[in-house]
Amino acid sequence: MIEVIELRKSFATRTGRVTAVDGVSFRAADGEITGLLGPNGAGKTTTLRMLYTLMQPESGRVLIDGHDPAARPDEVRRRLGVLPDARGLYKRLTARENIAYFGRLHGLDPARIDERVARLADALGMREILDRRAEGFSQGERTKTAIARALVHDPRNVLLDEPTNGLDVMTTRSLRGFLRELRAEGRCVLLSSHVMQEVAALCDRIVVIARGRVVARGTPDELRERTGEASLEDAFVRAIGSDEGLLA
Amino acid sequence: MNAVWTVFRKELLDAFRDRRMVLVALVVMPLAVPLLLAGLSTLGMRKQAEQLERTLELPVVGREHAPNLLAWLATHDVRVIDAPADPEAAVRGQRHEAILRISPSYAEDWRAGRPASLELVYDSSRPLQSGATVARLRGLLDAYDREVGALRLVARGIHPSVAQPLRLGSRDVATPESRFDLAQQMLPYLLLLLAFVGGMQLAVDATAGERERQSLEPLLATPASREAIISGKILATAAFTLLSLLATLVMYRVAFTFVPENRVDASLAVPADALVKLLLVVLPVVLLGATVLTALAAFARSHREAQGYLPLLIFLPMLPTLYLMVAPVKTRAWMLAVPFLGQNQLILRVLRGERIAPFEWALSLGAGALLVVAVWWLAARLYHREQLAASG
Repeated sequence: MIEVIELRKSFATRTGRVTAVDGVSFRAADGEITGLLGPNGAGKTTTLRMLYTLMQPESGRVLIDGHDPAARPDEVRRRLGVLPDARGLYKRLTARENIAYFGRLHGLDPARIDERVARLADALGMREILDRRAEGFSQGERTKTAIARALVHDPRNVLLDEPTNGLDVMTTRSLRGFLRELRAEGRCVLLSSHVMQEVAALCDRIVVIARGRVVARGTPDELRERTGEASLEDAFVRAIGSDEGLLA
Repeated sequence: MNAVWTVFRKELLDAFRDRRMVLVALVVMPLAVPLLLAGLSTLGMRKQAEQLERTLELPVVGREHAPNLLAWLATHDVRVIDAPADPEAAVRGQRHEAILRISPSYAEDWRAGRPASLELVYDSSRPLQSGATVARLRGLLDAYDREVGALRLVARGIHPSVAQPLRLGSRDVATPESRFDLAQQMLPYLLLLLAFVGGMQLAVDATAGERERQSLEPLLATPASREAIISGKILATAAFTLLSLLATLVMYRVAFTFVPENRVDASLAVPADALVKLLLVVLPVVLLGATVLTALAAFARSHREAQGYLPLLIFLPMLPTLYLMVAPVKTRAWMLAVPFLGQNQLILRVLRGERIAPFEWALSLGAGALLVVAVWWLAARLYHREQLAASG
């Protein structure tokens, strides 16, 4: 369970201060997939970075299963599986070594790591690449390895920043299936995306973000109803007030 | 502590799979340093021997004034040739190393028993090129001077020792190991340089490279503390550097057992037990280098930027060597606490086979440890900056 209350963050740039996240509040429940939907530059990545303790909020609060990242960063990191926008692998290590490295950093013993690697490899369909070096992996193979690495410690909460970015249709389909499995296991899944169809196909709840603010929230049906638009795409455009940034 | 060990192991595994890095650190450097020093030393010895042994060609102005002197010189392997029109310009222009000018009044003064004037034209600002020649000529002329002087005294019935109130003998207390030459002067610098920046590739790859490959952000999202992560990276860098140094020293020793002893200065050979001492001496520099490089790499935005600092880092270990070259000083205890300067002194003492007292070890290692901790703290602060991972 992830709760976000009035989160705010700004950055100093050459031209002055830019408020990237401006009072964002939402809640992502266990056993649900929650989508942060918004155009590029809306503040999705910054919001997620504050959730996984990479950045400190200027004001507002975050609670991960009731724990505050500001007070207990290590406890929060243990409860989170994170697939950041930056998901580089160690090219000279095999997929298995990449995953095991993070397992050890999470304090897992070797037997437990083996067990988790086997399960994740089955679930993600990456058995045959486990012992290949990451150098020369396709985008899909890289993403699968990065996801397995993020989930090696069996976290209750899963954060994914643009998880299907750059993936082909088949890989995207299998990834969606995997995320639904995580939901079925009762985990809290929070993903960000600028692709409306992606969010519509996958998420139980949608939080629409534009210019650092939450402009709409609800189930896909509720969003359509509230804006009076027949398609979710039109509902989305109406919610953020323009269609800029949607053509990715 | 567990996380430190995990990061340490992973970074070393990663490094050993980088063929280029392993080749440079464990093969190229260990071969290059001994070859460079052995080559320099052999070249220096050969040049010196040549200058001492070959027939010396000496242009002489006014040959006709001193035929006896020139005949005597000819019996001492000096071939007299005609001098160029402008001796000073010829020496300055490096066409001749030295030119002898015999005064027109030489014969007259000689016969009258007055000191006969000779003038040696040479350029003291080129001691490497002409120093040996000039010294050899001076030696020959001095010998002729004494010889004729003694004969004159004997002719007057006086024992030559009357004109020699002093007899100066000299006894060189240098042990074979403490004899000094150019190559030996370079060894401390090369060792310190290798110790300080030898881990550059690994440190940059482990921090700036990690950020460039976009693997730093996921790493920082794990429960491992940032202090643990940098400690692991620093220790891995230091371990790799030590290995490279060990390979270099072993190769150095092996190389000098193959070169015939009369071809190089024997003082360059490092005794086996000195290897361990040398590694211990440079250990603080290895750790300091690993920490400084990691801090710099955390500060720089890319591989390229981090490598831009390299010239600056190469200059640092050079400072004490330069200082000692212009102001050779006696070793004092406080110097051992100064990074690079202390290690430089200790390396020389190990090479000379001198004993290093326990308190001197403590001073050098303790001061080094303090400095490492200070820079480590700085590196940890840099790692806590938000911009570190969130470059986008």
